[in-house]
Amino acid sequence: MFDFWLHILIIACIYGMLALSLNLQMGFGSLLNFGHIALFGCGSYGAALAFTQQWGLLTGLLLGIAFAVLLALFFSRLGKNLGTDYWAIATLSIAEIMRIVLTNEVRWTGGAQGISGLTPLFSNLAYPTSQYARLALMAVLLAATLAFCQLLIRSRLGLALKLMREEPNLASALGYDLETLRRTIMVTGGVIAGIAGFLYAHYFSFVGPDQLLSTETFFIWGMVIIGGLANNYGVIVGAFILQIVMANVPFFRALDLPTDFVSAARPFLIGAGILVFLLWRPNGLLSERVAGKNV
Amino acid sequence: MSEPILTTHELKKAFGAHTVLDGVEISVAPGEIVGLLGPNGSGKSTMLNVISGFLKPDSGAVAFEGKAIAGLETHAIARKGLIRTFQLPSMPHRMTVRDVLRAGSREGAGLRAIFQRGAGDENVDALLEQFKLDHVANQPASSLSGGQKKLLSIATALRAGPRLLCLDEPTAGVHPKLRTDIVEILQSINAQGVTMLIVEHDMAFVRRLCTRCLVLDRGAIIADCSPDTLSQNPRVVEAYLGKAVKRGGLKV
Repeated sequence: MFDFWLHILIIACIYGMLALSLNLQMGFGSLLNFGHIALFGCGSYGAALAFTQQWGLLTGLLLGIAFAVLLALFFSRLGKNLGTDYWAIATLSIAEIMRIVLTNEVRWTGGAQGISGLTPLFSNLAYPTSQYARLALMAVLLAATLAFCQLLIRSRLGLALKLMREEPNLASALGYDLETLRRTIMVTGGVIAGIAGFLYAHYFSFVGPDQLLSTETFFIWGMVIIGGLANNYGVIVGAFILQIVMANVPFFRALDLPTDFVSAARPFLIGAGILVFLLWRPNGLLSERVAGKNV
Repeated sequence: MSEPILTTHELKKAFGAHTVLDGVEISVAPGEIVGLLGPNGSGKSTMLNVISGFLKPDSGAVAFEGKAIAGLETHAIARKGLIRTFQLPSMPHRMTVRDVLRAGSREGAGLRAIFQRGAGDENVDALLEQFKLDHVANQPASSLSGGQKKLLSIATALRAGPRLLCLDEPTAGVHPKLRTDIVEILQSINAQGVTMLIVEHDMAFVRRLCTRCLVLDRGAIIADCSPDTLSQNPRVVEAYLGKAVKRGGLKV
């Protein structure tokens, strides 16, 4: 049972990073990114490609980040000509196109079977030390990402993002280039998501297109909405809560529930959780803080 | 005479069949405080929107400090030093007054400067005090009264380093006492070398503050005079009160 919780905590740390990256884009930049999982996929497939080509871990990380940056730039470029809602649909569509291409391309991505056997991090250590080392690494990276995000939103760039989020006309009138701001935060969030994807790939030793289903994007959205949009601590709380709940879904079988019900429980819980919070607690568990107070 | 800081030439803007600006020509010299007046619907706010880049003109030219700016993006115009405020200044709900003021300056608003805390915030406290907003500095900006929002929008615009400040009805809905404060503040800003173009309805405010008035009616400038002679200008009187007609031998 201890191993199980160790595993859950490691995954929650990775999802915490993902939630932080989406929070930068949506919570502070007001960017309705429904294709966030594709940025994560850039990181995981970057790791997989470097593994199959035997380019090493660092190359895999850099490749994943480079893919994520390119996709984030493409997303930003699309946003230049589209309204917020249409852009959201476009990001969802691109993420789906990417997943379908990855499913059908075999030479580089392994097709529907994906790529397995990636070298797990700390594989040179004996179990359970290796698992402790992984948890320590993920926790440190999550803390570093949190510190970076906090630094960013408290900086003048963070102020500019908040002004753009709430009063775009005022921001423009003061000389802020909204396109540049959106691109900056899109790429920054993309890099974090890419790193999370790389870590995920090397934790599970497997990369496949099913990891990039659109429901995964809404899983991350659920973490952000439930934890508290525009609150970096909140979205980490959301990531841990949702990860713990979802990890326990398979145990519903013990309640003699139909298998179909259990398999549908995960997307149902994500959807229901988002809906409940949007209706009754739209600011999430920990709302954004303004002048030391939650608003 | 020094080169104008702002000129417009044959500026035209129409919304469908409705022509709002019909070949407007204005010129503003450095250091002036020019009032842009006119009855409702005369095109004042459209004029400000076109000058500041929020609307693209159908034809004509706008030059700021001798350089053409018509058709440029809003932020590009603002970066040249032409900063505007809005008639109904909407302020962020999730930012404090102090943070909105801090955001007025773009200095350090990039990824490279995220480790520099407090950079570029030197005159924030002084501005809060000057604009009598120091006691509400840590409140959400949206919670301010209409008059305080106007003050905050002017203070924020000042942080952007304007050489020409375009104010859209800075006293609309503002308490009379606060209007006096705004006049004094704007005079002190002007004394520091900031030129102003002010859209305004309040004639007393215009007389106290402006050095020259331009009157817009039906998309054209009908008067360019000093504030004191406005009421003697028959075209201005006609634009505001309508044309005198004779009924039964009486002029009404």
